[in-house]
Amino acid sequence: MAKFHPLKVTDIHHTIRDAVVLTLEPEDWSAFDFIQGQYLTFRQDFDGEELRRSYSICAGKGEGKLQVGIKRVDGGAFSTWANEELKVGDTLEAMPPMGGFYTPLDAGAEKQYLGFAGGSGITPVLSLIKTTLESEPKSNFTLVYANRGVSSIMFREELEDLKNIYLGRLSVIHVLEQDAQDIELFTGRVTEEKCAQLFRSWIDIESIDTAFICGPEPMMLGIAKALREHGLSEGQIKFELFASAQPGRLKAPVRSQAAGKAANQAEIAVTLDGATQTISVSKDLTILDAARENAMDAPFACKAGVCSTCRCRVIEGEVEMVKNHALEDYEVEKGYVLSCQSFPVTDRVVVDYDQ
Amino acid sequence: MMDMSIEDYLSQGGVLSSPGNVPPRYRAELLKLMATFVDSNLAGAAGFADVINAGPGIKERIAAAKIVLEKTDNADKVLKIMGDFGVDERRYANSHPWAARLERSADIGARRSEHDMRLAVFNYPLEGWSDTVVMNLLMGTAVVVQLEDMAQVSYQPLAEAFRAILPVETRHAELALEGLERLTSEGQGAALQESVAYWWPRVAASFGKGDAERFAALKAMGLRHAQSDAQLADWEARAAARLETVGLSAR
Repeated sequence: MAKFHPLKVTDIHHTIRDAVVLTLEPEDWSAFDFIQGQYLTFRQDFDGEELRRSYSICAGKGEGKLQVGIKRVDGGAFSTWANEELKVGDTLEAMPPMGGFYTPLDAGAEKQYLGFAGGSGITPVLSLIKTTLESEPKSNFTLVYANRGVSSIMFREELEDLKNIYLGRLSVIHVLEQDAQDIELFTGRVTEEKCAQLFRSWIDIESIDTAFICGPEPMMLGIAKALREHGLSEGQIKFELFASAQPGRLKAPVRSQAAGKAANQAEIAVTLDGATQTISVSKDLTILDAARENAMDAPFACKAGVCSTCRCRVIEGEVEMVKNHALEDYEVEKGYVLSCQSFPVTDRVVVDYDQ
Repeated sequence: MMDMSIEDYLSQGGVLSSPGNVPPRYRAELLKLMATFVDSNLAGAAGFADVINAGPGIKERIAAAKIVLEKTDNADKVLKIMGDFGVDERRYANSHPWAARLERSADIGARRSEHDMRLAVFNYPLEGWSDTVVMNLLMGTAVVVQLEDMAQVSYQPLAEAFRAILPVETRHAELALEGLERLTSEGQGAALQESVAYWWPRVAASFGKGDAERFAALKAMGLRHAQSDAQLADWEARAAARLETVGLSAR
């Protein structure tokens, strides 16, 4: 189980109007030895509600620094906060790098890579480009980069610099939705048809060893279809769906005004990781929240009653499980509940996360 | 920009790449799929480990030990992916007595035990070397059929793991067939045929009953592609053909 580690924000760079690049310094560098294309998952409290958000690392492996790019999403609590309120010197908490959006590199390899990025989907692709061009001196990278307009291109200058450093080894095709360009093909969205046209004249698709796609859903589908149509196998296409699907803000839990009245209190004995702690809490709190509020690191993930990560067993007393989309009937019969959906009914409840 | 629900994306063949972008129901089904695989492999390896010493020669014992090692490694590959979802890998790997089995005569159909997600077939005990080889051939062939489908799963890290595991499992079934060839050449056909009769319906049950509604839901999420009935028929044909090559019959 991955743990969260503190990271200090040492630099905040505004790339375009609504995106920042954060430079981070972990207390424990060994936990953050990333592979190009991976992402970090951050957690942050917003009005007592913990949000977890993942952002891709945009630094190359050889740069010796840890950077993530965060584009502000409308209504997105974390991205707005990172863009508007976060300051140099602040500390963030993140899990060690995760993700498999990469292929192993080999200094002797002579490969042709093709990357597709949509908007902020450039962040992991930039890490791939930098790392690949540096560690595989004979390989080339072609990037098809989709944006709404010139002003929304993240890392435009950085990509130009890379083209100059690695002369002839990096080609970048900007496809812009709104701004007209000299070549008509480069205007519009990157669809299946657009890809087919690019493969006809601009990209030698037969020479491509691996393709990387990171962007919003429809773009990924269209590109993947075109790539398969042109002979790439499933193993040659790497996907990273960017975070558009993440909800902006969790709904605040409904709390009874009567909370805190002695009559509404329950005593819960919670066993977790072999230790038992007895806590006195409001019956309006779920078992999971009660445990977490009392500094117990009870497992949870979706808090929606569907993933079963928060499953525990009721040994004594009674709880009411308001939602259950994960546990089977036989498990419920055995006394298992989803602790994120279960409220104490009796004045004393004993639960065990270890069973 | 372009709005598309994750459900639409998946139903059109979209691929997900990290725990951060999987919707809750998908997550639950994915975790379940992974838990089933991990538990089955850990239980399979644990059961098989006890039989290594029963191998009639060094070669057989090496083959059996290799299978135990590789099945454990396969479990580890998938458990690592579960770890990305918050599962405590160390605790998980030790949370069940993987070598525990029911009675040989227990009749549980396709029911799982209440403790773990292993396929029902891994709750039955192996009885000596030749019985183990038969079970390994039949189940190994079934796993290959199931993996061919699972290698297309819409969660890319898992699809990649399954694609790496597929040739390993294919080899295990081949090793079983080699073992079976030797045993039949030594005149053990009758005992082997008895083992086939015992394991055939139990392995067949691991393909499930083919609940249409559930299949549709899993298919829409890109977590299943082939129907249970079709997979079962596929397995029956492949397993029967293999048995035939060593002079055994399916039933």
